[in-house]
Amino acid sequence: MRRAAGNALNPPVLPDLVFTPGTLEEAADVMARCARDSARLIFVGGGTELELGLPPDRIDAVLATGRLSRILEHAPSDQIVVAEAGVPLAALQRAVGAHGQRLALDPPWPERATLGGLVASNAFGPLRAPYGSIRDLIIGISIVRADGTLSRGGGKVVKNVAGFDIPKLMVGSLGTLGLISTVTFRLHPLPETSAMILVPGCSAAVLREVVSEIRRTQLEPASVVAILSGPSLFDLGILFEGFGSGVDQQRDRLLALVARDGAPRAVVVDAHDRATFQGRHDAVRELPAVRVKVAAPRSAVETVSADVLPPLLEALENGGAVWYPTLGIGFVCGDAGPAADAGAAASALLRARSVVAGLGGSLTVAAAPESIRSRVDVWGERPSAWPIMEAMKSRLDPERRLAPGRFVGAL
Amino acid sequence: MSASTPAVSESLVARIAAVVGRSHCVSEPEQLRTYESDGLASFRVTPGLVVLPASTAEVAEVVRLAAAAGLPIGPRGAGTGLSGGALPVAGCVVIGLSRMKKILEVDFENEWMRVEPGVINLEVSRRISAEGYYYAPDPSSQSVCTIGGNVAENSGGAHCLKYGFTVNHVLGARVVLGDGSVIDVGGPVPDAPGYDLLGVLVGSEGMLGIVTEVVLRILRKPEATRTFFATFPSTDEAGNAVSAIIASGIVPAAIEMMDRLAIVAAKAATGLDWPDVGAALLIDVDGPLAEVEHTSDSATRLAAAAGAIEIRRPRDENERQLMWKGRKSAFAAVGRISPNYIVQDGVIPRSSIAPVLREIEALAVSAGLRVANVFHAGDGNLHPLVLYDARVAGEEKRAEELGGEILRICIRSGGSITGEHGVGADKAPYMAEMFSEGDLDTMGRVRCAFDPVNRFNPGKVFPTPRLCGDRPGPYRPHPTELSGEAGRG
Repeated sequence: MRRAAGNALNPPVLPDLVFTPGTLEEAADVMARCARDSARLIFVGGGTELELGLPPDRIDAVLATGRLSRILEHAPSDQIVVAEAGVPLAALQRAVGAHGQRLALDPPWPERATLGGLVASNAFGPLRAPYGSIRDLIIGISIVRADGTLSRGGGKVVKNVAGFDIPKLMVGSLGTLGLISTVTFRLHPLPETSAMILVPGCSAAVLREVVSEIRRTQLEPASVVAILSGPSLFDLGILFEGFGSGVDQQRDRLLALVARDGAPRAVVVDAHDRATFQGRHDAVRELPAVRVKVAAPRSAVETVSADVLPPLLEALENGGAVWYPTLGIGFVCGDAGPAADAGAAASALLRARSVVAGLGGSLTVAAAPESIRSRVDVWGERPSAWPIMEAMKSRLDPERRLAPGRFVGAL
Repeated sequence: MSASTPAVSESLVARIAAVVGRSHCVSEPEQLRTYESDGLASFRVTPGLVVLPASTAEVAEVVRLAAAAGLPIGPRGAGTGLSGGALPVAGCVVIGLSRMKKILEVDFENEWMRVEPGVINLEVSRRISAEGYYYAPDPSSQSVCTIGGNVAENSGGAHCLKYGFTVNHVLGARVVLGDGSVIDVGGPVPDAPGYDLLGVLVGSEGMLGIVTEVVLRILRKPEATRTFFATFPSTDEAGNAVSAIIASGIVPAAIEMMDRLAIVAAKAATGLDWPDVGAALLIDVDGPLAEVEHTSDSATRLAAAAGAIEIRRPRDENERQLMWKGRKSAFAAVGRISPNYIVQDGVIPRSSIAPVLREIEALAVSAGLRVANVFHAGDGNLHPLVLYDARVAGEEKRAEELGGEILRICIRSGGSITGEHGVGADKAPYMAEMFSEGDLDTMGRVRCAFDPVNRFNPGKVFPTPRLCGDRPGPYRPHPTELSGEAGRG
């Protein structure tokens, strides 16, 4: 236990009392002690998504997972890895990368973001397009429940239907159902090679068309990323990965496809330009001040581009946007304007949310200053299944001591 | 449970008949017997009433009426499951979803379709095939099993290796809960805020609610598929070939293994001219053309290097389908070489295939039984078929014991007691060997969040009955506190 004065994980909401267990047993012990003392807890990994969710009601202590930092098992021939929650993603990637494998997950802040935090916040990056999100990669978990009980779910094999899927339940639960203490992931082989094609200056209509053409021609990109480059215009980056001949063929076919459509000129980018594109993408996703996540049907990209992004960008300073057209998910990020303009920003968010809701999608405020949060529920409307979510919280954390109030509907 | 189950009264039947129509209520003892088991025919329990509703509203009303009468409810799809997941509780109301078989909506651009639970798995792919799409999960029973049952059991199939299971292809569901209320979880657009209830619902074996609509992810067909059939002297070489192919960075769509007995059975059933060898692999690789040509060539070379005797490639799609038919009919084919058999389903780390198969063989020899193996080698999902003759005194019991020992090998090797058939009634006792009391307690709490009175499918999955209680999770003292090492405050 130590005091957190001057700690990097230090938004005003965090208390001074920080527990830093170094083993699962210590973590279970901390949880049991907190149960005994009726202490309310928040879990912190790399601190990258601390603003996600509503501000918790009142927190007595922090449990930081930084010392739960061991990779417990990597079985290259079975393509699985078991690791403690506090292992940063980049450290895991380095370890499994030495065996030609990776966790097919590329969220922001890989050096800081920890496995437990990634699971808790359901973080993802462009590779989600072919590999799915964390729920599709996680195969096992151990948690410490609010009452201190150590509990496992899933296992170490990819195919396993024994019992309820506790690992998936924990994905995106933001530390409100239990402490994620270890996670087990399936791994994928690192690709032999890759190639990226950049199509600059695409309208939303062209984005939609290119995605349809990719599907029609049975190309299988590893990621498709659109970065807003001007009013209703996007730079589109399409990545192919795999074995040499396969990547070459897909690259050439995409080039031919885009050329035929008479779209803006497509180019194969070199390593430098690829890094630049990646940097632009990361700059948007990692903007600290205001981050808004939008999910909508893929077919609605033109509506999103015309009616959702512009009002949001207008309300932000230095705003940018990233859209994943094959997922139908994007992020609008920027700096908050002066506090005096927070009302305008909030109404822009609400207007955008109502457009997105009309499309069957959702808008979540992942980060924002208090001036905006106080005017907008970061989660939006309660879903129809909310009574079950409430029951889930009350069954697993009956005293509401784990990040109380942070989750959807202030659970 | 059955002791406390009230009888189905005439008036309840009348009220339910008023909802679904008399002809969709089955209450005659003779007819009820049709529903007394699923694909695991050794477990039989006669339900009190079988109801076949036609809509979400009807399901909800039937659930309310059964709940008001204090009756347990057993959901049922096509009854093809192999773990007794659809086994009724004595006197319960079975809600069969077979009449709800409409495909409601297809959205090609956004790549999903909305279906009712009674739609046959293969029917989903048939409906969208002309547009170049398909539904990936392909259990061997796909020509008869239903999507609702697939959701309940989180069904797999041969192509899980690359494409995942039912849970990876279900985007949303409409669910009738134990009090008759209706909720939607997930939906066509990803990442709706909230807990991933869909993740626990899929594979919950009908214990959390009744799914009345499902949104499925549909996939564009791959540009190319290459299939080859490789024979080996024994399962050792075949197992090594699997490891070598995976280690090379190839992710095949499917790698299926058959041992000598399974090959003999499949030949007998289909007339295929497969050779008499110790083991065979059937491998699919798919994707964009050049990628597939590369991976197919590499995989073939690796199989040869691992000791393949012969490698056959189908001449055309017809011949390819025939090879797959041989594989998919292997379970039933075993009936040609043995009067009775138990289909086991367990998972091991794929790198342990060769030693585990030898261990199973040794156990079989000492039990005086034969085991045929036909399974999803790429993900280590074993399907040992324990052959026996029920007419020989004691053989059935020995076969069951051998099946249990095989599950224990799976647990010891770091695997699972079921990869795709589910726990059901059959394997509930083994859950306590794979999971601790704390693990099972967490699952029990999840169940209680959905179904606090355990209305749905009681007696499945959990090794011992557990009730929910009104106030879950009281503070329990830590062992150190009990031993006096630590005190409160």
